[in-house]
Amino acid sequence: MFARLRRWIEERWPLSAVLRLGLDEDIPGGASIAYSLGSATLLVFLLQLLTGVWQLFYYVPTVDHAYDSLDYLRTSVPFGWLIHGLHYWGANAMVILAALHMARVFIWGAYKRPREMTWLLGVALLIMTMGMSFTGAPLPWDERGYWAAEVGTSIAGTVPVVGNAVMEILRGGASMGQLTLSRFFVLHVALIPGAIVLLIVLHIIAFRRFGSVGPWKEEKRIRSGPFWPDQAFRDVIVGMALFLILVALVTYAPPPFAGPADPVDSSFTPKPEWNFLFLYQALKLFKGPLEPVGTVGIPTLSVLILVLIPFLDRREERNPARRPAASTLGALGAGAVVLFTVFGYFSHPGGGSGAAASAGPPTGSVAGLSASARRGRRLFRSLGCTGCHAIGGSGGSVGPDLTNEARQNRSRAWLLEQLDDPRSHDTASVMPSFASLATGEKNALVDYLMSLGADSLPGVVSDSSRGPGAPGAAVGASGDSAVSAPGSRLGPPGPAASMIGNVRHGGDLFAGTCRSCHGEAGEGGVRNPGSADGTVPALDPIDPMLADADPRVFAGNIDRFIQHGSTPTGPAPSLSMQAFGDSHTLTQEEIANIEAYVLSLNGVDRASLEHPGMKPEAFLLLLIVVLALAGVGMGGVWLRYRGTE
Amino acid sequence: MTEESSRTRRRFLKLASASLGGVVGAVLAIPLLESVVTPALRGRKSHFSRLARLGDLPTGSPVDRTFADRVSDAFIQETVLRDVWVVKHGPSNVDVFSPICPHLGCRFDWHSGRNQFLCPCHGSVFSMVGEVVGGPAPRPLDTLSTRIEGDEIFVEWERFKVGISEKVAV
Repeated sequence: MFARLRRWIEERWPLSAVLRLGLDEDIPGGASIAYSLGSATLLVFLLQLLTGVWQLFYYVPTVDHAYDSLDYLRTSVPFGWLIHGLHYWGANAMVILAALHMARVFIWGAYKRPREMTWLLGVALLIMTMGMSFTGAPLPWDERGYWAAEVGTSIAGTVPVVGNAVMEILRGGASMGQLTLSRFFVLHVALIPGAIVLLIVLHIIAFRRFGSVGPWKEEKRIRSGPFWPDQAFRDVIVGMALFLILVALVTYAPPPFAGPADPVDSSFTPKPEWNFLFLYQALKLFKGPLEPVGTVGIPTLSVLILVLIPFLDRREERNPARRPAASTLGALGAGAVVLFTVFGYFSHPGGGSGAAASAGPPTGSVAGLSASARRGRRLFRSLGCTGCHAIGGSGGSVGPDLTNEARQNRSRAWLLEQLDDPRSHDTASVMPSFASLATGEKNALVDYLMSLGADSLPGVVSDSSRGPGAPGAAVGASGDSAVSAPGSRLGPPGPAASMIGNVRHGGDLFAGTCRSCHGEAGEGGVRNPGSADGTVPALDPIDPMLADADPRVFAGNIDRFIQHGSTPTGPAPSLSMQAFGDSHTLTQEEIANIEAYVLSLNGVDRASLEHPGMKPEAFLLLLIVVLALAGVGMGGVWLRYRGTE
Repeated sequence: MTEESSRTRRRFLKLASASLGGVVGAVLAIPLLESVVTPALRGRKSHFSRLARLGDLPTGSPVDRTFADRVSDAFIQETVLRDVWVVKHGPSNVDVFSPICPHLGCRFDWHSGRNQFLCPCHGSVFSMVGEVVGGPAPRPLDTLSTRIEGDEIFVEWERFKVGISEKVAV
């Protein structure tokens, strides 16, 4: 049957010739696992093609739906978690495998004449792989990807003369937006993969023209083995192991839910993907006018060196021990990349004045403030003071506006006493006591307060990149017009209810916005005179009427409060929940992050799998069992083959 | 290694490569297929929206009520405002009518003077309980599914085919 089908095809299409081109090759020295790196890179690329195309069944490349569509795939589509996870880890694996493959070729001296074309096509493939990594990261339109693209395109903007034009062409305009996403999408799913497929074909043709280079020692080159099946079998085993590792990574280290992209978020610290960290770290060495050396010079030089290697090192010798210059330079180059990557990984952004640091959201100037006042400024934010006090037009309105506190003629002692016992100056004050702070912390806060309005020093809010409509206020007074009247119905959930936020980021936002009323980690206990309960409701545990095992229902329940606010029952509650969404005090993305955090306080995962198809651990176990059975089966077949000899 | 054993080994390697490759391919194919097939076969999930407080509804007099219907289409969530006719007959006996005339899809209205629902397009007339009293309407007014929880009534929005005598959801 198969023979007839094959003959039928053969008469009409050169099947055997094509298979021969792909498979028939004698490898000097025989097959080796070391030669599997190229095939492994190819297999991972094929996996990327498959999982990439499959994601397109659900992914939508628009700024308003990209994040939600991908999260829908990951949580609500059977095996969506696996498809996206394989693509995420496959991308990382492909960069590593391509680099290892290149390193192996370098060590074996396989770039030398007549294989220069194979090497050059390989360099082009490596650049394209990096291009895929760069253009793929922003597609989820989450915090990580958005800021990686913002920083990456800004780096392009530092190129002398044409930089700004290049940046705007990449972004589709002066700023990041829909056109940026569309451009990155087209590059990632059409243009670059197309180029990669073409380059792979050319790379393999070039490779087949002269075959594998084999070992450098003549005595090891005496015997040889065919690619099919000797090398192919090893490639399959390596491919299987790789697939198992990728599934294990997806199971135990799934891609993070970074939270939806929020262009006005000043608290997110952008950092490039790990495979660009070496460049990011190198950039920090070049400051001021030398910046283009780092942004343009280093990448150009790196590519130039890779391109020139076969033309600089033209001796026939392939034994690395007898190529001291090449071996040393190769080791130094690889060492520098690894070292810079490690440094980059552990570095804190903002440490350098390079483009990567300056391209992100402004971190604000604290020039003019004493060290103690700076510490006080940090404390003011971290303690949640902005929840009740406004500075520079931004912040809560429960307590007095502190914009010009220095001009109030209040003594240091008065301020310290206010921190220790707020009711010593106003018996009706609802401000919590900060007596538990260390003396140094209280002094720092007072130093900061006494700097406010003393001159034109920047306030707490001036360091934020928020727009004028998005101050960091937390609670409104009961007279706030945005607060719904007692007993009034809450409106429907807002857009945030359907977004999967990031728990850690939500925790940070909670500390700055919600903690002053709902207590540390939502444990409650904050006084609310005039309300029926006497205290602000705790969020851990939250009112059982609001909690739900279904994260979407749970998020929807609390979202209505965060969007529209509410006023507690009671004769005259001092504190009311402000309409954070309706008043645009918080962005929808920020609300989604806070909701993910509040759900996590109550033991509910906002990103839990709704339709997993199969749970990740179960799928991994199934894969291990299937592969083990296949291995045992093959062992049995091998014994039968041996028996027939 | 003899010529024969080498040939046997390679025959085995060919079989093993193809089989193991096939196994991995099959393990991958199942999730890929399931991810596009199963979601398509999922039935429609009913969802109820809060309509009104029973205590707020007058007895024996139809009222037009608007409610927010949260529409969920895969990852796109929208809140759409809809309106329905609510007729409370007793403390927990409530009819909720779709506002669309079952004749040809016009929106009918309550005529308090005649104590009847009237459709302005082709003159269909319905009683307070939705029965056809006159005009070309082929069936009574379409009732919507409701659920009462405590003092609140919830409704499930649906549209029905018009112009036919059976009530068939679109």
